[in-house]
Amino acid sequence: MTLRLATDIGGTFTDLVAFDEETGALTIGKASTTPADLPQGVLDAVTAAGVSLGEVAELVHGTTVVINALTERRGARTALVTTEGFRDVLEIGRGNRPDMYNLVSRKPPPFVPRRHRFEVRGRVDRHGAVLRPLELDDLEPAVEACRRDGVEAVAVCLLHSYAHPEHEQAVREALVAALPGVPVTTSSDLTREWREYERSSTAVLNAYVQPTVERYLGALEDRLAAGGLRAPVRIVQSNGGTTSVGAARRTPIRLVESGPAAGVLGAARLGEELGEANVLYLDIGGTTAKCSLIENGEPKTTTEYRIEWRPDYAGYPIMVPVVDIVEIGAGGGSIAWLDDGGSVRVGPRSAAAEPGPACYGRGGESPTVTDAKLAASVLDPEYFLGGRLRLHPRLAEEALRRLGAPLGLAPTELANGIIRLVNANMISALKLVSVRRGYDPRDFVLVAAGGGGPMHAAALGAELQVKRVVIPPHSGVFSAWGMGLSEARVDAAQTRVLVTSGSSPEELDAVFARLEREVTDALVAEGAAGSLRCERSADMRYRGQEHAVRVPLRPGPVSVAAIEADFHALHRQKYTFDLEGDPVEIVTCHVSGFGGRALLPAPPTRSRTGRPTPKGRRRVDFDADGVHEAAVHDRDALPAGFRAPGPLVIEDETTTALVHPGQSLEVDAAGNLIVCLQ
Amino acid sequence: MEERFDPFAVEILKDKLAAAADEMGVVLARTSMSPIVYEVLDFACGLTDAQARVVAQTNGLTLFTGTFGPQVESLISDYGLDGMREGDVFATNVPYRGGTHTCDVCLVKPIFVDGGVIAFAVSITHWIEIGGAVPGSIPPDATEIFQEGLQLPGVRVYDAGHRSEAIVDLIAANIRLPRTGLGDLNAGVAAVAIGERRVLEARERYGLELVLASFERVLEHGEQTARAALRRIPNGVYRAEDVIDGDGVSDTHLPIAVTVTLGDDWIHADFTGCAPQAAGPVNCATGALLSACKTVVRAITAPDARSNDGFFAPFSLTIPPGTVFSAEPPAPTGWYYEGAAFANDLLWKALAPACPERLGAGSYTSLCCSYVVGRDAETDELFVLAEPNVGGWGGSALGDGESALIATTDGDTYNFPAEVVEARFPVLVERYELNVGAGGGAGRHRGGFGVVREYRLRGGVDAYGYGSIGGSERRPWAVGGGDKGTTNYLEYVRGASVERHGRVARVPLADGELVRSITGTGGGFGDPREREPERIREDVLDGYVSLAHAREVYGVALDPRTLELDLAGTAALRGG
Repeated sequence: MTLRLATDIGGTFTDLVAFDEETGALTIGKASTTPADLPQGVLDAVTAAGVSLGEVAELVHGTTVVINALTERRGARTALVTTEGFRDVLEIGRGNRPDMYNLVSRKPPPFVPRRHRFEVRGRVDRHGAVLRPLELDDLEPAVEACRRDGVEAVAVCLLHSYAHPEHEQAVREALVAALPGVPVTTSSDLTREWREYERSSTAVLNAYVQPTVERYLGALEDRLAAGGLRAPVRIVQSNGGTTSVGAARRTPIRLVESGPAAGVLGAARLGEELGEANVLYLDIGGTTAKCSLIENGEPKTTTEYRIEWRPDYAGYPIMVPVVDIVEIGAGGGSIAWLDDGGSVRVGPRSAAAEPGPACYGRGGESPTVTDAKLAASVLDPEYFLGGRLRLHPRLAEEALRRLGAPLGLAPTELANGIIRLVNANMISALKLVSVRRGYDPRDFVLVAAGGGGPMHAAALGAELQVKRVVIPPHSGVFSAWGMGLSEARVDAAQTRVLVTSGSSPEELDAVFARLEREVTDALVAEGAAGSLRCERSADMRYRGQEHAVRVPLRPGPVSVAAIEADFHALHRQKYTFDLEGDPVEIVTCHVSGFGGRALLPAPPTRSRTGRPTPKGRRRVDFDADGVHEAAVHDRDALPAGFRAPGPLVIEDETTTALVHPGQSLEVDAAGNLIVCLQ
Repeated sequence: MEERFDPFAVEILKDKLAAAADEMGVVLARTSMSPIVYEVLDFACGLTDAQARVVAQTNGLTLFTGTFGPQVESLISDYGLDGMREGDVFATNVPYRGGTHTCDVCLVKPIFVDGGVIAFAVSITHWIEIGGAVPGSIPPDATEIFQEGLQLPGVRVYDAGHRSEAIVDLIAANIRLPRTGLGDLNAGVAAVAIGERRVLEARERYGLELVLASFERVLEHGEQTARAALRRIPNGVYRAEDVIDGDGVSDTHLPIAVTVTLGDDWIHADFTGCAPQAAGPVNCATGALLSACKTVVRAITAPDARSNDGFFAPFSLTIPPGTVFSAEPPAPTGWYYEGAAFANDLLWKALAPACPERLGAGSYTSLCCSYVVGRDAETDELFVLAEPNVGGWGGSALGDGESALIATTDGDTYNFPAEVVEARFPVLVERYELNVGAGGGAGRHRGGFGVVREYRLRGGVDAYGYGSIGGSERRPWAVGGGDKGTTNYLEYVRGASVERHGRVARVPLADGELVRSITGTGGGFGDPREREPERIREDVLDGYVSLAHAREVYGVALDPRTLELDLAGTAALRGG
């Protein structure tokens, strides 16, 4: 019983990583994802890794089942109960037009049609005081309609429930009694922040996915138990922590970014291993690149997350803590094209797996980033995916020629340009999570994962002037690796506006203490073992402002002066100025509780001997740094302690890493490739 | 673009300029102290080159699409590039100098390299209060700009890096909410400082020549994109007429008209024949008219591209001076967005037949902005609750019109959550729902619905309401046999009486009295009798269309008890 298992179900593959907590040995299993029966893919990956479920002490699971149910609209028939006068909040939304010049623009259609949105009398004010009692009799027509139309889940969102959840709870009890077997979600159970549209949307989406997730998690537990698993299953939430299956069933919307969050968490733990508390994380896949920032060892979370959001589409808000990830349409499959104004653009359209890049030889005609990489000789056509997919350089060249000819650009010139453009897009995304939020990339290491991360990382790191670039081993299963290291996490927040000058430390302490009790009780209830710890933070602003800055509280007793000083400093860092002397408000108090860390197993030490010989040499276009002949190494043959100057190409079965001229490579004991930029 | 520049480096820089503008906007919204800025996002930020041509702009208000250029130009003509100093920030809000109304304060920071101006960073923010006759500064019955608050004719708020305390004191002394106003000043200055920093970083990294080349490339790219799109639209001369219903001083309808000529790759709009400038403040000056037109030019050419002045190179405009769309001093322009909205809608109406994929039937048009002002009994402070309202859009070839969407003259701007309104102002929001009861807008693709929004005053003292809402008599136009949309208006419920208004200067409100904003349905597209009966059934189930309306307007019969489709009855109603 010493195995800690982590499984990550992706679109194509189900990954599994098994950590042996005694020996530190790591085993990897990969199986095809089985969309019709997802638990089967997990069992297949267990088999592929040669692991016995009977020896597993804990299984951590990340899943795309929530995001898939949402984006494919395969959730439950859902109803919504709201305060009288507010039936249409879900449809009105915020009324904005992100595509402001499009005069036939479309709003996100609501997940609950108008016929299933019901009102109940009863009114609370901003302080949580009851102005008019709740009229539960109003629910009768709603109950009747739900029965008649076969409604499968109900969401409840009443005005000001962040300050007064009791009315929502009473509605829930009444509905549960009247509609047995129909799960009921209350908005205040998911968030205690204000803005009724955002809270309604959160409650509705939770209800919408709940029956699907119930079925899925039930099946997963049953199948794993039948396969011999006796240990608890824990589920990765969007905040990067884990929760019990029971809690995941009640609030499944908290799993919406389960997989990506685990990758960010993995980057944080890798940083810890390397003694680097500040990490920029980049994951490049076939269609998108994701970036996130970790400061002082903690991933940043936000409650301003939206699904299906695009710069030109409002999407649907989900007000639960989600690891702050910026995702852009830039990956290996991203297609290069010429716009009306005569500029070459890359993405966001992707050739995906079918037909795939032109060089796959499956009928793709548009040049993609992968085609450009092949034309630049970054990729070896005979060793793509370890030689399992043979690439066709001639097809890549033809595709590049077709696009480049009208511009007078030779295929190699265009390839070089495409790579620089896609790098620039990724730089913008990395700057969004760093420079834009007042961080200096020079204080960070860049961790690159995914099939494409290692190919771009050295160039991006140089442009951003990060301290160094780290390419972990198994970067193709990095999210699963991160999951294996996650810990239980519960977040709680309370919107309550307090002027700091007028509040006593005792008053603040009482608010935080109550949240801490809530959080630790929840952790204990769901079976988190080990030493629990809590972190406090506060959303703060100058009086009159609306948007707040999240200020972590220093450990120890609350000091108003210290909180204020930290706020002024953070405001200056983010926005170039502070208003010291102006009244400061605390808007929302946050507590995050953690249920004890999984210890990172010491990896088996790599041999420190041997001078690996390059498996070959080739002339590679290092985008902005020009064309150079580079030694090509097999990653698995590199011993710990290996050092060499760039230019270098390091290949393994899942990816190709570059070390540019002027940079140098070092392989550490854990097998990380460390690229030093100077 | 000249050959000696690396084309990809220029493309990369071009994107960096857009990112810089976005970042300016984030800083402004996040630090502002005014709900109209941080919640509604009534602002814009951007960069121009040294010749006042916009090279990057945030999303935000469409009506700021065309004002940056003329505003920066007016500063250049006042001071000359040589007369500006590093660290200067200028403030301008004068409508006749490229601006909109006095509330929109534009801050401009020249960006210097080696002692010369290479670009300008610009932010424009709707200040909730700038003095004048009423709190909120836009009296609906103003007859001169002097009733609309303080004019800032391109004054130096920062002089070579030092804040001009004399100017700041002058501003603070003349506005009713100085803390909020100066908060917006801080936010705007922070935004232009970020813009400057990013341009200078780009210059550091890529060199001045490449930065300047990227400015040229941005503009060339915009122009090329717009011309390519115009070539796909049929040439022709298109004309539209309409009225503005009332100017705030009188209810008289003001006639407006436009003749648009579409050439191969150019477009010209001639607004000759519009009413002379009005006594009341629905006038706009030519800067705002230009913005209103540019929005439509963008809509029919490249709605999804980032904004820059290159897009407008193919566009030209004729307007005689002194009309309702080309007001001259001292005409009031406080509600300029009413005039601008009608100008925008007029051009849209003219072009709709030429661009059916891009332009549908008419929308509710007016921003439907309602003000409630007074003192908050709890804090004894002045409050100014100003809120644009969302409304119904017209049906189009692509489908039904959207419901509850903000008017064309706004853009990526948001409504106020009821919970935030109640936390900030002494009101209860009692109702916020779709205005499905108004009918209208029937069509094969029907118009979207407006909203009904109610505020009940709760803990307000010396309060009154005002507003200037267009379309209270004139209804949104339809296309191809559709039904016209419905009207927008305000209702004040005081005791037993309900007063209905379009443009109203002052309605006293006692505690417990109620203000109701009602916005209309958009125009219909196509014959209602061609709408699929099954969709009408869905509309009835959702309460969008009544049974009677289904029968009478759409010719669809439903069983009144089960709401099942009555196919025979429908066939009979539709004549076979």
